[in-house]
Amino acid sequence: MTAEQGAEDRAPELVPLNAIFATDFTQILVSVTTANTIAEVAAAVAYHVEGKRVRALPYDKVVIHNGERLPADMTVAAAGIKPLDHIAVEYDIPERS
Amino acid sequence: MALLKREEWQGFVRDVDWSYSYVDDEAVYPEWHSGTGKVPREAWQAWEESYKVSYPEYVATQREKELAAYAVKAALQRSSAFDSLNEGWKSVTKMHFGGIALAEFTGVVAELKMARFGLAGSWRNMAVFGALDELRHSAITTFFGHEFVGKDPQYDWTQKTFHTNDWVAIALRNLFDAMMTSANAVDLALQLPLVFETGFTNLQFVALAADALAEGDVNFANMISSIQTDEARHSQQGGPTLEILVEHDPARAQWVVDKAFWGSARALSALTGPSMDYYTPLEHRKQSYREFMEEWIIDQFVRTLEQYGLKKPWYWDEFLRGLDTWHHALHMGLWFWRPTVWWRPRAAVSKDERTWLTEKYPNWEKVYGDKWDVIIDNVNNNNIEATLPETLPWLCSTCHLPAANATQSRDGTWRVRDCQLTYDGRIYHFCTNACRQIFWKDRDNVNHQTLVDRFLAGQIQPMDIGGILGYMGLTPNVMGDDPDYDAWTKDYAGRQAEGIATAAQS
Repeated sequence: MTAEQGAEDRAPELVPLNAIFATDFTQILVSVTTANTIAEVAAAVAYHVEGKRVRALPYDKVVIHNGERLPADMTVAAAGIKPLDHIAVEYDIPERS
Repeated sequence: MALLKREEWQGFVRDVDWSYSYVDDEAVYPEWHSGTGKVPREAWQAWEESYKVSYPEYVATQREKELAAYAVKAALQRSSAFDSLNEGWKSVTKMHFGGIALAEFTGVVAELKMARFGLAGSWRNMAVFGALDELRHSAITTFFGHEFVGKDPQYDWTQKTFHTNDWVAIALRNLFDAMMTSANAVDLALQLPLVFETGFTNLQFVALAADALAEGDVNFANMISSIQTDEARHSQQGGPTLEILVEHDPARAQWVVDKAFWGSARALSALTGPSMDYYTPLEHRKQSYREFMEEWIIDQFVRTLEQYGLKKPWYWDEFLRGLDTWHHALHMGLWFWRPTVWWRPRAAVSKDERTWLTEKYPNWEKVYGDKWDVIIDNVNNNNIEATLPETLPWLCSTCHLPAANATQSRDGTWRVRDCQLTYDGRIYHFCTNACRQIFWKDRDNVNHQTLVDRFLAGQIQPMDIGGILGYMGLTPNVMGDDPDYDAWTKDYAGRQAEGIATAAQS
């Protein structure tokens, strides 16, 4: 008998997402895996849009899922992002003082 | 023997009906095909079209129309008119031929359904003429498009489009199957003749006829004008049907009309919107898409609603706001995903064209200009690769068009927001609140899978852009590309460009 594995212990699984990058004009399909970090997810979404339809800005990117900003080093599995979920990727622009 | 006068026989022959003695009425007009619902069966006897026609009159008139349309075509076939047409305009015609030719045949099936299952003899009689009309429309559109196949293989999609799994074809099949193929006769009469034919065909047939003449495409104008003359007759099946339904079941009437209007508006914003505001050369544009919608669609639709005692649809504000965004976003989508279409989308965002767009749509620069600027800078830096797709846009589970509708935030910024719902353990995403609402109310219907659904289900192999293009039936000689990048990028050549994609090293 084996104990049930947690998501982190299993082989990476594909997680197709509905994503929007900053001010882009359309939502797009982006596939990541449960093992990807949030920083990698942001990069995967940005790959299709940044510098192609949205001008690149010199700021870090932040992923928003269910209204919450996710830590960059967290994995998709740990963040509880499920297939077909919606995520938004935004530039983390510092507020003007 | 002297012939009877018209008024002595027409009332009888146009409304032949009888009571069945060997079978139940329900067996002849089953609910799932006829759809009387809460309307008492006998109430349909009051069904009366306002413009009456006999078969000999119909045939004589149609013969004249056919002779005229084909005579013009024959005369122009010998000229070189086609060769001098602008590529943007040719794209309008390719889009029309592919998007409409076989939709007209779906119209034949729809009219035949009403000719068989319509609930009054007069209605069934009128639907027979409608079926003959639609057969003519399908034939004339296919035939006119076929003429150009030898000159440009994209015209082959006149006949081919509806047989493919191209995402535009899926979106149109999804709309027209719901409107015509799967609907019962009562709902069908509201959705097709009343909403689509009295309203939206004006958009594609009247507006484009004016633009065609301005462009010098007399042949195309001749064809679509000839088609449009039929619509006025058979579209009148909607009015009498709505009148009877409103009396007995106003809630159903309102819902069916609202839903058909929304679906039609979404589809035409993809088909006619880019045609009018981008593909038609600037000097030949008669009205903006928004202006035409306001004059020809909205006013008439609101008058129809008032005439029959219906209210404006619940989504009215969302629809009106969409007149400034839907077709601009769809144009950008059609352009960026241009290998997936069977025409050559011209971007049409030169300085002059942007001035026109801003005049017609004051927020255009704020919502779309920044994205086009990045695309322009990539083209001017010889990085076409950065302007080509490597994934799919997310397609709405109701209208199957990209979820691409920006709305304004309180702080003035424009963002595309997610509209989703979970049903039966699955998340669905929608382009608008109204598409979500329609999905929810119709959730037990069988819907077409979007291209994204098919991709994720593993139906498209290999799972990359090449696999997707192959699944959609697009071959290199047909897939779309911009016909003239220089035309809309040269105004911006040499300007400083920051934050654009880095070109891959060769």
